[in-house]
Amino acid sequence: MQPSSSALLALLALPFLGAAFAPLVYRVLGERTAYFAAAVAAASLALVASLFGTQGTVAVPWIPTYGVSLAFYVDGLALLIGTLASGVGVLVFTYSGGYMHGEPGQVKYYATLLAFMGSMLGVAFAADLIALFVFWELTSVSSFLLIGHYQDADASQYAARKSMLITVAGGLFMLVGFLLLHVVATGVPAVDSAFRLAGEGSILANADTMVGALRAQGLFVPVLLLVGVGAATKSAQVPFHIWLPNAMEAPTPVSAFLHSATMVKAGVYLVGRFRPLLLTDEWTLVFGILGLATMTITAILAVAASDIKELLAYSTASHLGLIVAGYGMSGYLGAETGAFHILNHALFKAALFLVAGIVAHEAGTRAIDELGGLASDLPLTAAVTTVAALGMAGVPPFNGFYSKEFLFHAVYYTAEHAVADGGSVLWWLLPAVAVFGSIFTFLYSIRFLMLFFGDKPDALGEVHAPPLAMTVPAVVLGGLALVVGLGGVAGTFGVHFTPLERFVGTVMESSLAHAGEGEHSFSYYLPTEVSPWLIMSAVTIGVGAVAYPFFDGIRDGVRAVRDVDYLRPNWYYDGTVAGLDRSSAIDVIQTGNLRTYALALSLALAALTLGAYAAAGVAVPGLAFAGLGPALVVVLAVAVVGAVAVAAAPSHIAGVLTLSIVGFMVAIFYILGSAPDLALTQLVIETLVLVIFLLVLDKLPAFYGTANRLRAARDAVVAGAVGLTVTVTVLLSTAAGPDDVIAQYFVENGGVPAEHGPIFADAGGGGNIVNVILVDFRAFDTLGEISVVAMAALSVITLIAMRERGEIQ
Amino acid sequence: MSADLAVSTTHVVVAPMLAALVTAVLTLGTRRYDRLQRVLSLLGIGAYGVGVIVLTTRVLSGGTLTYQLSAWPAPFGITLVADALAVFMLALAALTTVAILIFSVAYVDEEGQRVSYHPLFHFMLLGVSGSFLTGDIFNLFVWFEVMLMPSYVFVVFYSGPRQTAAALQYTVLNLVGSALMLVAIGGIYATTGTLNMADITRRLADPAAFGIDPAPVLGLSAILLLVFALKAGIVPFQFWVPPAYRAAPAPISAFLAGVTKKVGVYAIVRLYFTVFAAGVVDGGLGLPGLSGESFLAFFGPVLFLMALASMLVGGVGAVSRDNLDDVFAYSSIGQVGFIVLPLAVVATIGDHSFGAAATDLQVLGVIAALVYSLNHAVAKSLLFMVSGTVFDAADTIELDRLGGLTTRYPVLSGSFFVGSLALVGIPPLSGFFGKLLVFDTGGQALAAGAPGAGLALAGALVGAIFTIAYLSRAWTKGFWGDVTPAVERGEQSTVLVGVVAALALVVVAIGVGFDPVYSFAEAAAEAALDSEGYVDAVDPEVVAHE
Repeated sequence: MQPSSSALLALLALPFLGAAFAPLVYRVLGERTAYFAAAVAAASLALVASLFGTQGTVAVPWIPTYGVSLAFYVDGLALLIGTLASGVGVLVFTYSGGYMHGEPGQVKYYATLLAFMGSMLGVAFAADLIALFVFWELTSVSSFLLIGHYQDADASQYAARKSMLITVAGGLFMLVGFLLLHVVATGVPAVDSAFRLAGEGSILANADTMVGALRAQGLFVPVLLLVGVGAATKSAQVPFHIWLPNAMEAPTPVSAFLHSATMVKAGVYLVGRFRPLLLTDEWTLVFGILGLATMTITAILAVAASDIKELLAYSTASHLGLIVAGYGMSGYLGAETGAFHILNHALFKAALFLVAGIVAHEAGTRAIDELGGLASDLPLTAAVTTVAALGMAGVPPFNGFYSKEFLFHAVYYTAEHAVADGGSVLWWLLPAVAVFGSIFTFLYSIRFLMLFFGDKPDALGEVHAPPLAMTVPAVVLGGLALVVGLGGVAGTFGVHFTPLERFVGTVMESSLAHAGEGEHSFSYYLPTEVSPWLIMSAVTIGVGAVAYPFFDGIRDGVRAVRDVDYLRPNWYYDGTVAGLDRSSAIDVIQTGNLRTYALALSLALAALTLGAYAAAGVAVPGLAFAGLGPALVVVLAVAVVGAVAVAAAPSHIAGVLTLSIVGFMVAIFYILGSAPDLALTQLVIETLVLVIFLLVLDKLPAFYGTANRLRAARDAVVAGAVGLTVTVTVLLSTAAGPDDVIAQYFVENGGVPAEHGPIFADAGGGGNIVNVILVDFRAFDTLGEISVVAMAALSVITLIAMRERGEIQ
Repeated sequence: MSADLAVSTTHVVVAPMLAALVTAVLTLGTRRYDRLQRVLSLLGIGAYGVGVIVLTTRVLSGGTLTYQLSAWPAPFGITLVADALAVFMLALAALTTVAILIFSVAYVDEEGQRVSYHPLFHFMLLGVSGSFLTGDIFNLFVWFEVMLMPSYVFVVFYSGPRQTAAALQYTVLNLVGSALMLVAIGGIYATTGTLNMADITRRLADPAAFGIDPAPVLGLSAILLLVFALKAGIVPFQFWVPPAYRAAPAPISAFLAGVTKKVGVYAIVRLYFTVFAAGVVDGGLGLPGLSGESFLAFFGPVLFLMALASMLVGGVGAVSRDNLDDVFAYSSIGQVGFIVLPLAVVATIGDHSFGAAATDLQVLGVIAALVYSLNHAVAKSLLFMVSGTVFDAADTIELDRLGGLTTRYPVLSGSFFVGSLALVGIPPLSGFFGKLLVFDTGGQALAAGAPGAGLALAGALVGAIFTIAYLSRAWTKGFWGDVTPAVERGEQSTVLVGVVAALALVVVAIGVGFDPVYSFAEAAAEAALDSEGYVDAVDPEVVAHE
């Protein structure tokens, strides 16, 4: 069934409208704006719900001349992400009503958070590559503002900037990937609209042809990698995982939202969305390695965490790694893993972040070492944590267990088949690493759970009961996670939780490659027979349980390795960014000395111009001395001597005087060349310049200072190069003989009227064509030059009037 | 009757220049009556805007307009050519300078305004408009001078030691540039026998018919490129940019970065893609590493290196500066790299010879440069004016002394945020489409197998990451954080904040309503690449020779 376009467009507009009205609403409702925002989210959730069971595209033109439209596509994957964003949104806004009590900047907070939710809905439903990118970047910008919510804190500033740098930069890589995809799609006739990602006549609808075309142009791997960078930065995959732990500087409801339903889920969404198009051996290699490496490394780092939100942050990166690895594997198992774990992770992780917020709020600390035995004070929260943390650990029958089983199955299957097909035994590393990483997941999950059990440290003061607005959302999420887990238990007995299974099935279908992954209906249940992947789960839990008593030792060991230089998660980021922020490299170029700049200009002139002459293969005409009379020879010789003397002048005065020798020789040259008007002008200028220079020099120190030999030699070479450039230019210009229609036109038409007789023209040398040209043919030039002269006068006035006003700015 | 009608249609070509010139003269004559002077100045910029709008509508609906001054036929007199490219640039200038002038009236101190600010402002605008409209290469030199002369004064306007030093460097480098421009123009006249740009194009396309040797013109046009690159502040001619932008009053920095720089960009597009593109070197370019015969095949790699170097120098410079104006000045160097890069890419992708239709990719590259220019004009002048407003309120623009601006001045900070995001290229702001089109040009060139396209994309990505780095740094250091005493003490000016906020809305509007902007830029790009159409529009007289 085709989705209703009004519902879809309303869904995308609603959160942004809510954001725009937030300031007004705040004036009326004050802190209860939280419930306004929750209502907006609930309305969005209702609209998403109304789209269930539909599939198809809705498009509104945006930039038709460039082929961009605001197109949206509804399918299982889009609905899953949309449901998470709006559903978790309702809970997060409600929770904020309690958590943000008395906090600063609430208008900005709710407006940005609503825009954040709207952007995520946009990402989920966008079917146009450009529209997808628009919403993608908006999630980055809104999360920048939210992470920097406590803007006075250095840590918030650092965290916000880091997330912006990594995710926006990654987005640009993705944009390049999209544009390459667009170029290739333009050449595929079956694709109607080359920016259209999903729906009829789209890129995904023609996946096989598209891959063929991409490969033919050698662009398949570049596109795969560019889109991969976009997904990896957003979803905090190694080595871009480093922004996510810092993002915990945001208020806790934001963290819960960002980690479970928005922002980081955009990355895995992208992987799931592009899987049908790009699934190949390269895909499996890239995303399999990326996902498993992230899953393992960040799980180990989570063990080393000292703050409960830091632990959860690394855990998020780890679970996103699991999802990416799942989508990386071929076959329906891979798609199943990704689809189901997106849902499961959202449920348990949102719940755990809300728990973390309750703990921080009521116990007054987030330090793991300072917490313990909270169950007595927070029984309900402890129950939620039990369900969620065991789900996170992958312990049956909680929800995370099932999707982890799918991953184990998928990687085992991939390795088995790859080796059977003659692949390297290294493929067996996939399941091995998956189990290894999962052991750490088990460890930190249990550590988090143990915050509620055991002895309560003496230092921990009174723990208050949280307000209802904060408890209810956590309980709802925990309850949903429990339901999903119990659904598997029921499934074992043949009682399937059909709506859920069917829905996850449609999510899975969105990521199935059309070729070769076949029909498969999704269902899940507790394993009833021993299989390699069940053994993998057993090993994970068994080893984890045996190792848990040594948790502190393991943690200290991990910390020791983590704190070694170059192994620190942040060393590359901090090194580069701090290095650039404090770099003085630019001072090597911008020395502040005019002579450096003149040198660069001169060298560039010589290189560029002589290079162009050489490239064009010009023949430089020889110097023709023959026509020079003795008078000219003398004049030019004196000019040359004058020029040499300028360079060698020991003082300003001597320099100016010798310079004027050159100038006067040029004036004489003009006279000899029958250009008396030019000569007069030149003489006036030379005289004036000389006088003005001498008056000014009176105010300056007489001594030049001495240049060292090396510098003098360098300057001589540069001066020589410039001289050569200008000489060649003049020789080429004077040797050229284009037709002279313009000159002829003036001569023919500019003659003196016949009644004056020929004598005037003959003896006077013309009817003063020059004047006519200046004041009529090229009067526009003259107008401009007059303006310049006027401005020069105005400049003098300005300099005098503004003098003594000193440094106003 | 019909002749009169024709005259009245083409007269509109000079309308913007006339508005600027008359306003300059009137404000010069009313220096004693400063209120009247300011009113005249504002009315004048309004008239300029109206002139540009009327001219733009005429050109977009009816095609290129030419105006032969004093009715002398081309190439004997001077021709003004208003084609889609010229009016695109005029529209960019009008949009930006209206905001800048309103800002100036509230920002520059009264004595400064009275002395010379207004006449110089309008003369500068006259020079800019003349440069966009002229179809004569010597006349271009004249308008360059008209544009430069006031800018010298503006850089030294506050007359402190720092301003004097900056102005000295700025003036010396630009005077050298002017001298070189004259050498080049003289040489071009000597080798091609004409100054009319359409005539030069025609002659380069068919050198034998006019008895000219096109080979030396390549070298002469290389000298000109240096001059234009100096105006646009492209590496290695960027040296004057940071000190000058920092020394000048904030609205003038906005003018220089937003508009004057674009004159250099325009000149590169006009002369190399319309005029010199017609030139061909017989037997191909004879330097290792170069291939092809067109002049553009030589300039492509040159522009390419300059663009990459600009992005790098601008980025490394901006990310380490602790003064808002310095950050924006280095940023301008980097951003102009983004403008030149697509031009370089499409200049390299094969010959665009006279008479042949430009390929879609060439059009796309020029559109990218133009859209990026438009965004930079609006967003960067917005940012410089934010810096001016901050200075007006807090008496400092040193990042170390700023903090908590968002708390104290939310609207101003919001405008800065929008301007910054536009420079970064965040959708749906104006800057997004600039970045998008630059990347698209690179991507299409890569798909077409053009050499260096991959490097261009990599360079653009690195440059874009630098942009995020320096703007996020300025934001977190200056706008977030604790409110510093300087920020606490100050008081914001409503007019200044109003202008800045209005420009922020323009940045959003250009992005959201991008479709007409794209069409306009496309028309401009097609005009820029249509050498034959340019010659036909000017129609230099064919004088039978021998």
